[in-house]
Amino acid sequence: PAVARDNNCLNAAKACNLNDTCKKYRSSYISPCTSRVSTAEVCNKRKCHKALRQFFDKVPPKHSYGMLFCSCPLSDQTACSERRRQTIVPACSYEEKQKPNCLELQASCKTNYICRSRLADFFVNCQPEPRSLSGCLKENYADCLLAYSGLIGTVMTPNYLRSPKISVSPFCDCSNSGNNKDECDKFTEFFTENTCLRNAIQAFGNGTDVGVWQPMSPV
Amino acid sequence: RISVHSRGCLLKEVHLNVTDLGLGYQTKEELIFRYCSGPCVEAETNYDKILNNLTHNKKLDKDTPSRTCCRPIAFDDDLSFLDDNVVYHTLKKHSARKCGCV
Repeated sequence: PAVARDNNCLNAAKACNLNDTCKKYRSSYISPCTSRVSTAEVCNKRKCHKALRQFFDKVPPKHSYGMLFCSCPLSDQTACSERRRQTIVPACSYEEKQKPNCLELQASCKTNYICRSRLADFFVNCQPEPRSLSGCLKENYADCLLAYSGLIGTVMTPNYLRSPKISVSPFCDCSNSGNNKDECDKFTEFFTENTCLRNAIQAFGNGTDVGVWQPMSPV
Repeated sequence: RISVHSRGCLLKEVHLNVTDLGLGYQTKEELIFRYCSGPCVEAETNYDKILNNLTHNKKLDKDTPSRTCCRPIAFDDDLSFLDDNVVYHTLKKHSARKCGCV
């Protein structure tokens, strides 16, 4: 019989549950993110976001990024990619009844100091630069991945879109942008069409960017 | 990691598939299951000795009260996993953290 193809996202989940720290903080966010609190709400989103931030704060990147940035073959749109999409428990942490406009969401992020500073970090550290070999202005994939994962647990929580290529976005779109359509499109494309971020995620998934696995020594 | 409340009753661990637990979940995820095992003879009190003698001498009719057991006195952290239908589950009090003769 044919051997089942390796599912990197499943392997990362297995590795997490065999590590006491990762196992503990994984179930610490899955519990609040999957517990219904009332007939109206599927979960307590505030508690879910807080526990997600704690997971990425406390668990070494080897395990937390292993699950968040696991690589899936292009052909796989189910077992592997769906598992990767489910890492943050999107039904609670990501989806809302209505999709807000991205600029409105950005404005609400800026009223919260954690969200404001993490969004600023993301724009600095994942700035694309087509002329650089890495695709990034600051040629440091680890900093870009750290800034991206830092957004998880804020109102800007991003997730993978159901798309054949790696594309991520916060839960918002650019309908009802009025005169700010161009500005809104620029904002969303920084997530969905960002070569720097895409290369950083791919390099981690393929294990080609070894630096990410260890903390960078100060230069 | 190993707690010695009485010599012999020890925390042991085994690497399993979640399906090995027989709780009815369908998933490919895995876990470390920790359990308490070993004799508790040294921790026995007069109470246990009396029960032993009374059962042996058939003074308790058909009653057989339990004697000192090697049991978890604290449980491990919860375990979460994603099943094959993309639903999360969380198991509580499924694995031992500390053992004792109780």
